[in-house]
Amino acid sequence: MKDIIKILTEISAPSGREDSIAEKILEVLDGNFDGYRRDKLGNLIVWKEGKSEKKILFDAHMDEIGVVVTNVDENGFLRIEAVGGVNPYTLVGSRINFSGITGVVGIEGESLKSAKENLKNLGFDVLFVDVGAKNKEEATNKVKIGSFGTYDAKFQDLGDRLVSKAMDDRIGCAVMIQLLKEMKEPLNSIYCVFAVQEELGLVGATVAGYDIEPDVAIAIDVTAHGDTPKAMKRIPMKLGNGPALKIMDGYSISDRKILEFLENLAEKEGIPYQLEILPFGGTDAGAYQRLKAGVPSATVSIVTRYVHSPNEMVDYKDVLNTVELLKIFANSEISF
Amino acid sequence: MFLNELSPISGVSGDEKRVREFIKKTIKDKVDELYEDKIGNLIALKKSKFSSTKGKFAFFAHMDEVGFMVTKINEDGKLSIQPIGGVDPRLLPGKRLRIGDKNILGVIGFKAIHLQENKTDVPKYQNLSVDIGMGKKSEAEKLVNVGDYAVFDVPFEEYDSHLIGKAFDDRGGCSLMMDLIFENLALPFDVYFAFVVQEEVGLRGSGIAAEEIKPDVAIVLETTTAGDNPELEEYRWATHIGDGPAITFMHRGYVVNKKVYDWIINTAERKNVKYQYKRRTAGGTDALSIAKRLSGIPAGVISIPCRYIHGPSSVMFKDDYHITLKLLKVLLEEGEVILS
Repeated sequence: MKDIIKILTEISAPSGREDSIAEKILEVLDGNFDGYRRDKLGNLIVWKEGKSEKKILFDAHMDEIGVVVTNVDENGFLRIEAVGGVNPYTLVGSRINFSGITGVVGIEGESLKSAKENLKNLGFDVLFVDVGAKNKEEATNKVKIGSFGTYDAKFQDLGDRLVSKAMDDRIGCAVMIQLLKEMKEPLNSIYCVFAVQEELGLVGATVAGYDIEPDVAIAIDVTAHGDTPKAMKRIPMKLGNGPALKIMDGYSISDRKILEFLENLAEKEGIPYQLEILPFGGTDAGAYQRLKAGVPSATVSIVTRYVHSPNEMVDYKDVLNTVELLKIFANSEISF
Repeated sequence: MFLNELSPISGVSGDEKRVREFIKKTIKDKVDELYEDKIGNLIALKKSKFSSTKGKFAFFAHMDEVGFMVTKINEDGKLSIQPIGGVDPRLLPGKRLRIGDKNILGVIGFKAIHLQENKTDVPKYQNLSVDIGMGKKSEAEKLVNVGDYAVFDVPFEEYDSHLIGKAFDDRGGCSLMMDLIFENLALPFDVYFAFVVQEEVGLRGSGIAAEEIKPDVAIVLETTTAGDNPELEEYRWATHIGDGPAITFMHRGYVVNKKVYDWIINTAERKNVKYQYKRRTAGGTDALSIAKRLSGIPAGVISIPCRYIHGPSSVMFKDDYHITLKLLKVLLEEGEVILS
């Protein structure tokens, strides 16, 4: 599965520009589905029919955070703004990939004092991107206003731990791909939504379930960690402790029945798991929960270090255990 | 252009009835269907003359403007107000307001300069009061009520190159839609025109209208901030007056659907219509609430650049208005059909 994670995370596809990742997902799936479609906002929906009447919706968002070019100055430097939650401190000095054109992020500073000041109160207005152009014309021939870019970073296999950009949430996409590949004849019908524009505010997931009307929805997404030096004290989640069953975050409270069902399954099957409470953030589960008359929803998270950076780290065993747990879930008789 | 008539009408969010009545009365003989929904959106339909068309296209513009509401009548006869939508209180001292259905004139008061302990005191809503010339609560109560709406008292003025007035956001968009209704365009598909309510308080009307119309594609017509102040470097401007309609690729909470965005840009390029990019991503429009309705509605945004929006007086270049209108006509008549 590591090869799939490498392929998916190295694709550059920020929110609103997901065509390349959607195509790659279909390629990797290699026909392991009963059908698929792209909906009007670009969500990729792939399904496999089951024997029961129940419909389970799995969701992982295929977009990643990025930047968009808002201006090009006379000397060919680009100005950018964030697409999703991009930390400007992480941007400084990093490389950006604009559909194959590489840029380097620089920071303004007319004196040492103002350079320090800019760094102290860092915002996008004092950052610029250098694509190696000598003037405006040369720059706009490479990258136009309105072009989207992402961090330029490579996948690294550190053994049990994997590092790449866009683990958020290509790791969820990889889990769903693996589910579709491994489940030959699921008991329940499964609909895998590879959602768009999650990072902008759950845009794709808000509409993806409209025609499906699932009986239950599970978002698979990354979550924060508490196991690095002086990490957030109130967060218990650790890499390697198994899939994190989300109790709540800033945008939704997981359905209790689903949560208990998943816990029991994990206990019975001997799959390690941990419980998650995230005091902030949100996942697509929040959108499904509010769909039409409401869909019972929950999130299964993969604990990830350095989220929204070019080097997000996950534990490979957590990923495999997440696939195992969800596979058993999809084959269980459910009463939601 | 109907902006000269639309701009002076008072129509703060939730109180759009005068705007709605004016539009209704003006367009009623020019459309195939016209109705008002439960929340107060006005929806008009122009049918395509071609028999083989499929699909629905919709334009959206909001009728409401930012303004104020009277929250309390004080013992000294002065009024406390709160903003409806985003109005910077630093713009307010000394400005005139028209209050309530009786159009009572008021002046916004702030502590006189010689009484300010700190000359850099910034006005806040809690320190501002509106003076309607009454010395006692009982006198003021005869003229105004708690809950009365108030708007800036600003005339509409037209010059050779530009227009000055209030509420260009988004009566400019309403005017564009009315112009499109009045033009006898060869529409390739049925076109709905949604004049929506309560945008300024959180995009409340548009999603409901979208749910009713169920369009296949929607375009939001807005006016957008110019921010082209001379003291700022050009690369910091959001848009520039005189450079034509501003096309949005992304704003708060939504990346404009690529198909719709490419359709707008490619048509403008192909037909040589001047346009500019909206070069800031802050702020949102009804496109966000429309896109998230039903099973998803691809929505785009086209705006007239405008200086000083959400303040008492905005400035719009007539050329920008007319080029925007031209772009819309070209999109409808000569743009490759987006619905398929």
